[in-house]
Amino acid sequence: MSWRGESNRYLASAYKNWIISKRNVFTLFELFFWPMISLLSIGLLTRFLNVGPGMVSFLLVGAIALTILQVAQIDVAYVLLFDMWSKSIKNTFIAPIRSYHLVFGALIFGIARGALVFAILASVSRYLFGFDFRAGGLLPVLIFLAGVFAVAAVIGIIVCISILTFGQKADVAAWSLSGLILLVSGIYYPVEVLPPALQMLSRAIPLTYFLEYYRSVFIPGPHNLAVGAALAAMYLVVGLILFDRAIERARRTGILLRLSE
Amino acid sequence: MAEKSVVCRGICKSYKSFFGAEAKVLKEISLEVEAGEIFGILGPNGSGKTTLISIFSTLIYPERGSLHVLGLDASRRRDEIRKLINISTAKPNFPWSLSVKENLRHYGMLYGMHGSMLSKAVSDLIDTFELGEYTDMNFENLSTGLKQRLSLAKAMLNRPKLLFLDEPTTGLDPDISMKTRSLIRRIHDEQEISVIMSTHYMPEAEMLCDRVAFLRKGEVVALDTPQNLKNHLGLGERVVVFYEGPVDLKGLEMVQGVMSVAAEPGRVEMVIDRTRENLDRIIKLFSGAKILDISVKEPDLEDVFIELAR
Repeated sequence: MSWRGESNRYLASAYKNWIISKRNVFTLFELFFWPMISLLSIGLLTRFLNVGPGMVSFLLVGAIALTILQVAQIDVAYVLLFDMWSKSIKNTFIAPIRSYHLVFGALIFGIARGALVFAILASVSRYLFGFDFRAGGLLPVLIFLAGVFAVAAVIGIIVCISILTFGQKADVAAWSLSGLILLVSGIYYPVEVLPPALQMLSRAIPLTYFLEYYRSVFIPGPHNLAVGAALAAMYLVVGLILFDRAIERARRTGILLRLSE
Repeated sequence: MAEKSVVCRGICKSYKSFFGAEAKVLKEISLEVEAGEIFGILGPNGSGKTTLISIFSTLIYPERGSLHVLGLDASRRRDEIRKLINISTAKPNFPWSLSVKENLRHYGMLYGMHGSMLSKAVSDLIDTFELGEYTDMNFENLSTGLKQRLSLAKAMLNRPKLLFLDEPTTGLDPDISMKTRSLIRRIHDEQEISVIMSTHYMPEAEMLCDRVAFLRKGEVVALDTPQNLKNHLGLGERVVVFYEGPVDLKGLEMVQGVMSVAAEPGRVEMVIDRTRENLDRIIKLFSGAKILDISVKEPDLEDVFIELAR
């Protein structure tokens, strides 16, 4: 197959998500309403608490990271959720595709939406709260975003695996997993304030390291970006392998048929 | 010589519930489908038709048994098989808010089609399946018949060598069903592809299929051409007589060739072996009555189905 043909097998999911999103009015809520609510509430909280610029950056980075993560991870999860809701999963899996076609295709669209949300939130936070997201140059921003998108892909994969393993009821995972991330990966507080057991868990989540790295631009401090990058890469590879296995298992158990009924 | 479309030996499949209960759906299915033929899988609801089609199309896997599709071992070369086949499912479903054209583009992309090749394939299929008026209509707004046509068009995107049709006319109006059957026949003849279809409409199987396999409770209970099945099962013709006056109904049962008699006032229905040879003797028993109407119907697959489903 030519490179254009192979590319299209990835882009198919991005194309489907794009069409569905542009026809769905609630996309505006996902892209603008909730992200703005999240940013403004945290930004105003910093004013109320009268915290210094470093702490404002700390909290706004967390709010922006969580929002982008939620937008991008749901796009990856949508690759199966849309098929499951429309009962068209059979038509997808009769085609000669693998998990990575679905995940990376959907992630392309997730990155596009996430980048748009980031641009909006970064601009608004600079204008309203004086937070300059490019204070350390463009490279830290790109590394930070790459980390958030990698984690989003991993969460999206976990949602897809849950659907193929447990069936339709597992779609609740699509909205729940980012809540766990909120709790343990240091979105609004340093992970050092967590109980020791949760600290161990937070050290297993790549987003923790990417947040520490990006925050170190505003509040100098230690970070271990290499560990975060290695964990993200490992989870992605393992996630894709497990996704492929979940597809094979769904074919063996017949759950693939039940998801189409 | 062309490879057989499907060769399967000892296919078994059961579904397990969350609590471990097991339902056996297919039991030791062995059959071969020749290249180029339209092969029907018939049977009552719950007999395992959809499961068998899903296994043949590699959508799901059997528990036991071997399967070769288009000469390729389905346990090892599934990706190659999937490039050569496609399916139109019962109750076709596609992403709701994608239009006819967008759905075809999306699935074409999944098959690695691109550029002008993809655009031409989509446009040709829209023409072939007479979807031109509905190109920009979202899937959710299509009628059942149009959804079925879109499903067939999608199944032809990759120009498959083997096409699976799972109950292609279920839920359609009679005229749309007839159109769909003609379309299936046309696709088969023009594209020279093999077709394996499941149905529980016997006239559909009789009209389209070169050979049929009857499934009952997950087992193949008969496999042959529709004509041979009717012959082998020794099904008689169905003769219905409407009459006025006295008739020796007991005598009818004694006539050679009469296999069964079902009578009600003014009407008698008989199943007769070799009607032409025996009709004269039967008519004589109606000599004291006035025959108002008489009809003779040859056995069809419906009768085969009823016989086999017993």
